Amino acid sequence: MGIQIDALKCIACMACELACGYHRDDAFALLSSCIVPYRGREKKNYVGIILKEEDSLVAARPEGVEINRIGEEQDPEKEADASAKPMLLRESCDLCDDVDDGPLCITFCPTGAISMA
Amino acid sequence: MEYLASDKIAIVDLSTGDITEDELDEDLVLDKIGGAGITKHLYDQHVSAHPTENGPIVLGTGLLTGTLVPGASLGILTAKSPSTGKVSHMPLNLDAGMELKYSGFDYIVIKGSADKPVYLWIHDGILDINDAGDLWGKDTWAATDHIRSEMGDDLIQVLSIGQAGENGSDLAQIGINYWQSADRFGFGRLCGEKNLKLIAIRGMGLLEISEPEAFMEDCAELIAAIRSNTTTPNQGIAAVSAALGEEDLGDWLGPLTHRHMACFNTPVATNTFIFTDEDPALLKETIVTEPGFLLTDIFPLVALKKAGLSAKDAGLVLKACAKYGIDGAAVAELSAKSGLTRPEEIEKTLPDLKGPVESTGKSIFSPWAAVGQDINANWERRQAVAYVLGLHPIWFQITTELTEEKLLDLAGLGSEMEFTQETLDEVIEDILA
Amino acid sequence: MRIFWLKISEIKSQIRSNRASQQQIKMASRRQETEFRIPKIGIYTGKGASHSWLWFVEVFERLGFYDLSFLTEADLVKDSLEKVDVLAISGGDTFAIAEALGPQGAKRLKTFITRGGLYLGSCAGAYLPLNSSKEHLNHFNFVAAKITNLTKTLPEAHGMKEKSCTCYGCSFIFHAVREAVEVATSGLPPFGKSATFTAPLYGGPPMTVANPASVMATYTAFTDKTLFLVDQKLAENTLLGNAAVIRGKMGHGHLHLYGPHFEHPHFREANLFLADAMMRDLPNQTAPAANPEDGMNILSGSLKQRFIRDFKRELSNSRIVAAGLEMLPLKWTIGNKVYETGKIRVFLEALWQRIRSFEKERLILVRAGQDDLLVQRALHVTKSIRQIKKALDQKTGAQKADTLKTATLLFSLLNKTSALFLEIYFRSKFFQFGKIEYEGSYGQIKKMVA
Repeated sequence: MGIQIDALKCIACMACELACGYHRDDAFALLSSCIVPYRGREKKNYVGIILKEEDSLVAARPEGVEINRIGEEQDPEKEADASAKPMLLRESCDLCDDVDDGPLCITFCPTGAISMA
Repeated sequence: MEYLASDKIAIVDLSTGDITEDELDEDLVLDKIGGAGITKHLYDQHVSAHPTENGPIVLGTGLLTGTLVPGASLGILTAKSPSTGKVSHMPLNLDAGMELKYSGFDYIVIKGSADKPVYLWIHDGILDINDAGDLWGKDTWAATDHIRSEMGDDLIQVLSIGQAGENGSDLAQIGINYWQSADRFGFGRLCGEKNLKLIAIRGMGLLEISEPEAFMEDCAELIAAIRSNTTTPNQGIAAVSAALGEEDLGDWLGPLTHRHMACFNTPVATNTFIFTDEDPALLKETIVTEPGFLLTDIFPLVALKKAGLSAKDAGLVLKACAKYGIDGAAVAELSAKSGLTRPEEIEKTLPDLKGPVESTGKSIFSPWAAVGQDINANWERRQAVAYVLGLHPIWFQITTELTEEKLLDLAGLGSEMEFTQETLDEVIEDILA
Repeated sequence: MRIFWLKISEIKSQIRSNRASQQQIKMASRRQETEFRIPKIGIYTGKGASHSWLWFVEVFERLGFYDLSFLTEADLVKDSLEKVDVLAISGGDTFAIAEALGPQGAKRLKTFITRGGLYLGSCAGAYLPLNSSKEHLNHFNFVAAKITNLTKTLPEAHGMKEKSCTCYGCSFIFHAVREAVEVATSGLPPFGKSATFTAPLYGGPPMTVANPASVMATYTAFTDKTLFLVDQKLAENTLLGNAAVIRGKMGHGHLHLYGPHFEHPHFREANLFLADAMMRDLPNQTAPAANPEDGMNILSGSLKQRFIRDFKRELSNSRIVAAGLEMLPLKWTIGNKVYETGKIRVFLEALWQRIRSFEKERLILVRAGQDDLLVQRALHVTKSIRQIKKALDQKTGAQKADTLKTATLLFSLLNKTSALFLEIYFRSKFFQFGKIEYEGSYGQIKKMVA
């Protein structure tokens, strides 16, 4: 059981990032989220979602999902290369285990881009 | 102000370089709620105390901006329009409103004019006035790239003017990053007069909520209702255009459509990215540096379509407008009058275009959200509510779930303050006066 | 700049009345009223130190132990150890620390402990005083314990190759696991009853000693968070049943050597044990109070605001770039340690989380020039991080390789900047605080103040 992401449905609204940030900080903030729409390629309209799990980094790219074990060597040319322990200060996804209705990112995603596997 | 705010107002005097800070008084919030209610108040406060040739520019956010209320993305820029002479309000959408909310300031008043080109760098409760000598003369794309590269962050939100604003065109627009904004009021010219090239914003703040569980429960219910509502429009600018009673641009834009992009926390993407110089079906990252353009404004699109331009040409025209920093709606209107249809021809005319244009509209709110409808009292009220509470104005026009009552309830849950319908009515009356 | 001068006599009087070591706090324990004093703690931040010394800072701050000083290798070689009760050395590159301290530093350290001082060594700091014939380490040799993760043949790494071992002459020190492990305290006097809890291991030593009474805690089990870097059986043999924490004695003083990071702020029980043990083995006589020097400036009002704003500006600028960098695939091997981009944020967030409290202080105490120096250092940190980001944006191999030099400089700068800020921060806090918020009893610290 885990989070499943369809990057093509994502409209980069960041509701997931804010919802996860709320789960971490009990306030609205964006620095602690373990799920982040990657927005750094604005002129190219290249948007994906990065999710930090316990042992792995899920990079949901528009062209497909990559799951890499954190700490293992991968292609250093790619962003979100898990070997460099990205998102070091962020806790990994706990599926909002203390929330009755489950992961908040799923609750607040307006397009259904995020779901439970 | 403990909740839903940074509790800080900055007053910047570009003439002297002085920056002072005030607390956001709770009494002010109780009285004016937020957003355009307070930006208008601050405008009145600072324009009467220190009369200058051009009045202040006031940036602000709605009370609910930056929260999980669906559509709570809005920032507001309030100033006296050089075109209409009226104090008017433009939306700061995409991620700019959110970034302003988290920047450590609730409101920023920009007074006076600098002696030489400057830019404001707003970050984590710090406001700097920096030299913009290197930036003056650059188009908005180059200026945005430059700032992001210098500051080392690609997520900085940039409100900038292009050469149109620098040269005093009354059709000059303040753009948001690389894209057209809803500035129909010539605020770009106002910035140019102030020698203010751009405002760069980045914030990693935190908003406390008074009753977080109740607040979140309500937000979750709202988004669930929105998702299950079959009348909620599909994603993208074409679908939204149809929902607002304008033309369905779907078939025209379809072949170039890459992806639909939403403004912050807005359930329906009101923007569509078209690829004019790359295969739109390409999913992996393109090697082309500028493959296309993000369409953010329905009106000029419709106007350019009606003028007989292809979707690609319309995209190229709007990209040129965005770079030059001129209102695409005005350009579309004037080009249609001159019978120009080729992008390179239209681009050549940009420096010489002059208003007045009908696309400015008659309201004090940008008519960006009013395509296909008459701007009437009902529309203005809806806009006022959106601008006070911080909701995306287009989204607020098409949603049925967000009622005034619900929003006031949420405002109370979030801020520990009580806002009545009477207060909201008074604030709106004051804004529209 | 206009300086607000207090008479030196007024400063001395103020410090004397507030100084925790002069102030006796009456604590009611379950069984008796006990008096204790707040220790003067030196924290090593010099060459070879990584970022984990910040964890010591967090723990001591929560306890209200504001009498902290931040010591480089140069300070240790001089006379700084005469002014502290406790020296804490956390994680990093043991060899680099040993080399930086050299024979002089080792001698100073020996004198410090022998006359009654307490040495807390965690991870790299735990390896440092262990008996060794290796160059630089051979100046120390304070504790006759063996490590069980020394090998001539490197075991197969199951992950994190660059973190799974360190060269040790012709041999290797291998790291069997990382992350949280379970430990059990021995319950031997003078440390109270035994308990089991977890603490994180990031390369620290498992040890064996001849005298079982020296064992304060033992590795007992792995947790579901434990990451195995070698075969599990090998990990079990290397760790379980061996000492996680040992207590050495030298002259009138003691050494507490921690394999896991008991000072990691997310592990409360481990923090409390560490603090408890420290309080038990404090020297009987406190180190003499350091005299305030001429040139101590007190900043207040607009001067204070301007200083904090200037520093906060650069801290914010750095933080913004660092937040973007944390997504990018880059790491550097500096000496024997691997540094990821995320570690930059560790330093910056440690400072940022204290800015608000710093802004609220009525007075800020700085030595002459420290305020300007802090702002300058923060500016250089910003420049270095931006340089790295620019180089990464170039996306070619040659330019990427260039970032190692900048990164090496950056991490050194981060250490120095953090240490300087925290020195000013704690000095200012210490100068002004009127009470200690602390609960517990001597020998059994029950609660930490948030």
